[in-house]
Amino acid sequence: MIDLGALHTQVRDILETGEVRAVVGWRRGSRGMLAEPVTIATPEEAETLVWDPTCFHNLSLTLVEERKKPSWRPGKPIAVVAKGCDARSLTVLMQENCFRRDEVYVIGVSCAGSGVLDERKLAQRLPGVEPDSAAFDGDAFVCATAGGEDRIPARELMADRCLECRDAHPKLNNVVFGEAQPRAFDPPFAALARFEQEQVGVAERWQFWQRQFERCIRCFACRSVCPMCYCEECVVDSINMAVGADTTAAEKANRIRWIERSASRADNIGYHMTRALHLAGRCIDCAECERVCPVNIPLRLLNNKLEREARVAFGYEPGASIDLPALVASFRDDDPNHFIR
Amino acid sequence: MEAILDKKNLNDWIAALDGWDAYAPALEDGVWSYRPASANAALAHPNTVQPPKGFAFPQREIFFRFEQIKGEAPRLTPVQPEPGRRVVFGVRPCDGRAVPRMDRVFADHVDDGYYRARRKDLAYVGLACHKPQSRHCFCKSVGGSPVSTEGLDVLLTDLGERYFALAVTDVGKALMQAGGALFAKAGASERKAVEQAHAAAVAQPQRGVADAAAAPAALKAGFDSPLWEELAQGCIGCGICTFLCPTCHCFDINDEVTGAAPLKGQRVRTWDTCQFPDFTMHSSGHNPRDTLGSRLRQRVSHKFRYFHENFGMLQCTGCGRCVSQCPVGIDIVQVVNRVAGSI
Amino acid sequence: MGDNIYLPQLARIAHIKEEVGGERAIKTFRLEFENGGGFEHACGQCAMLSIFGRGESMISIASAPHIKDYKQFSIMRVGRVTAAFHELAVGDVVGIRGPYGNSFPVDAWRGKNLVFIGGGCGLAPIWPVIQTAVAQRGNFGEITVFYGGRSPRDIMYQAELEKLRGAVDVHLSVDKQEEGWNAFCGFVPANLMDKEPSPDNAIAITCGPPIMIKYVIENLRQLGFKDNQIYTTIENKMKCGVGKCGRCNVGKDYVCVKGPVYCWDDLKGLPAEY
Repeated sequence: MIDLGALHTQVRDILETGEVRAVVGWRRGSRGMLAEPVTIATPEEAETLVWDPTCFHNLSLTLVEERKKPSWRPGKPIAVVAKGCDARSLTVLMQENCFRRDEVYVIGVSCAGSGVLDERKLAQRLPGVEPDSAAFDGDAFVCATAGGEDRIPARELMADRCLECRDAHPKLNNVVFGEAQPRAFDPPFAALARFEQEQVGVAERWQFWQRQFERCIRCFACRSVCPMCYCEECVVDSINMAVGADTTAAEKANRIRWIERSASRADNIGYHMTRALHLAGRCIDCAECERVCPVNIPLRLLNNKLEREARVAFGYEPGASIDLPALVASFRDDDPNHFIR
Repeated sequence: MEAILDKKNLNDWIAALDGWDAYAPALEDGVWSYRPASANAALAHPNTVQPPKGFAFPQREIFFRFEQIKGEAPRLTPVQPEPGRRVVFGVRPCDGRAVPRMDRVFADHVDDGYYRARRKDLAYVGLACHKPQSRHCFCKSVGGSPVSTEGLDVLLTDLGERYFALAVTDVGKALMQAGGALFAKAGASERKAVEQAHAAAVAQPQRGVADAAAAPAALKAGFDSPLWEELAQGCIGCGICTFLCPTCHCFDINDEVTGAAPLKGQRVRTWDTCQFPDFTMHSSGHNPRDTLGSRLRQRVSHKFRYFHENFGMLQCTGCGRCVSQCPVGIDIVQVVNRVAGSI
Repeated sequence: MGDNIYLPQLARIAHIKEEVGGERAIKTFRLEFENGGGFEHACGQCAMLSIFGRGESMISIASAPHIKDYKQFSIMRVGRVTAAFHELAVGDVVGIRGPYGNSFPVDAWRGKNLVFIGGGCGLAPIWPVIQTAVAQRGNFGEITVFYGGRSPRDIMYQAELEKLRGAVDVHLSVDKQEEGWNAFCGFVPANLMDKEPSPDNAIAITCGPPIMIKYVIENLRQLGFKDNQIYTTIENKMKCGVGKCGRCNVGKDYVCVKGPVYCWDDLKGLPAEY
């Protein structure tokens, strides 16, 4: 379990000493039980930080956004509170030279046998009830409602990504709270395996995905919430062009529209497939894309599929170490494909 | 016109609406959305993820097709929507109140023929809320009510085994008349029951905007407040808040090319949002709203100030979707209250 | 489809003139309506021009309203659609819909002195007003035109400006001194202060890059111009032209309807989001 008081003390200390210039964490929001991301810069704010099963957000995203701002100063680090998955995400970002290791102070929080809950599972489990708070007591989520407390076994409420957590203990850390404990839930790719058992044939799967993508409203939340989608200009989105004062008319005119803006099935598929491929070997399964999707497209299945391919074909686990070469930026002499040798 | 409809007769009523295509909320892949009404439609839904705004203002609208043989003049073929008569069941009062607001936008200055074509034979059968659909509902604080009839053609109120049906418009009356004997006369006891149900619904506590009447002036005074950037701090710049909003209407127009020689394609309208960073970006790269805070301010000010200055009513109907669906917890109620409270 | 507000008319390019070269080149296109189409416009209004397959762009109508045979547009090569315009040749057919926006209240300015201050391609939006004033020369007092470009090669409408002399005081400027340039050297706002036009019974009309407009307005106020004597245009990104798509929205105004022409007295009350 995490000692929140100790985490507060740590945050206060590093802000007081000036070791970091800000801390990115979670605080209680105005929306009932849900936590929300926050960046604090003064020691007095340390105690506003929270840790509970609604700390879904992968806060490495905040850092990526911060880096895009003109106010970004390399040098003095920013601290980020990071779960196991978030720490893997920071690792990939460092592998890709988005940040140097000394620019980020990682305050690890081990999910130590727990995990975040899944709002959709909660809505199904307690229809029409919106708890005021949620906590984890070691075996179960305890949801406080107007009518008392509901104790729901972890398995019934935990997000799939947490049930299948690759590593709940943030390996990359400057300091870590909570213990490393073996996971008691599902092996990685369990949901993917279930999907593959349910949808056996190629035609069946294609039909399934067409139905999923048909719903997409192209709000781009999946991309916007993804720490790995940090490109200034996104190839699958002709909308957000990186235009500066010195971008030439020719550059703007010759820009290819790979995907139209229409939320049509074909363009939606183009968008999601391309995004999935661009995340191969990079996605660390924080599953934020799936969580934020307003129309419930199971994006995690896509990303997991590619993650598993990389693992099976190359023994590659994204986010394992800063020192490893990035999957798509490296090759091996014993690559199974002859064309690359 | 008031009448009583047994719940078990709902589907017979829908079937009796000759010449109308009916839609009702359905749960598919974990998402509540409006689908063609099945033979056993039941109005037992929380509010839909998407409002019914797409019926009159679809996410994608083809304006015309173009074709051009090199060296010749282009040939343009307009595309005119002919959706037929459609009736949407189960519309919540907040989404009903969005309808006249959208009507104003698309009829103001010049009439938008595409919106008009889709809107003219479109009817809404609403369903009163007995209790807030979620803790993020705030219709009462923005001038609405869980039993509002605004924008609806019929309002149904659930009385247990029966609906109390109130025709709001002539179209609604015609829809009910088409049900014929399925509808029974509403007696004094049913009137009393519906009054009580409505009073109980209105009495349900909701969170809300502290002083909606003062919001337009307060947001004007708070235009330069540093709070905008602070409140937008976590914003990831996605389109959820606006795409799910029942009254957001911004759009883009693009040419989609489907063939090169001869040139073939179509000019298409698609939803767009002030929350995308390049929404206002000039070709020169100059961007009048280039920060998250300025874009949050635009969204909130449009709902609570600019629309009011133009049309004398708030644009927000308090459905709460932008609050409940925001990936990072940006809460329009809190934004308005904090900015208004800071001045 | 008479009421299809998004369906353009067709117009043929009758003439192309290269005004300015370089990366941000400017060409002037003369468009003649096909199939007996057309529309009337007022000074300052815009039209949505389209190249099918490329898209649309909102451009100021640079010809005067009394010219009925064609509409003229001076287009800077700056984006996806405008770059495509620069590839077109005489005889090519494009789309045009409009007119959009409000206009300069030229009739209300009868008897007044007019001071025009333009920079870069910002001469085009105010050019119809200059043309109208010159065509009705007796209706107006003194007419002065300030106009500047980066270099002598960046001066658009050179021949037309020379033709104005006699009827109109023309004060040209370039940002940096070059050999052979005998007129003012320096930015447009500085040229304005150098000549000190009087605010008495005068209206100032300015258009150009945002930074130029900002200093021109400051200087006009220094010269004694009141806010209600100063007019300018703002050109936000636009898509629909009919006050619906939301792109050009500034405060309560949709610039494509309430603008592009603004009296500074009104504009200063809007958020500076342009």
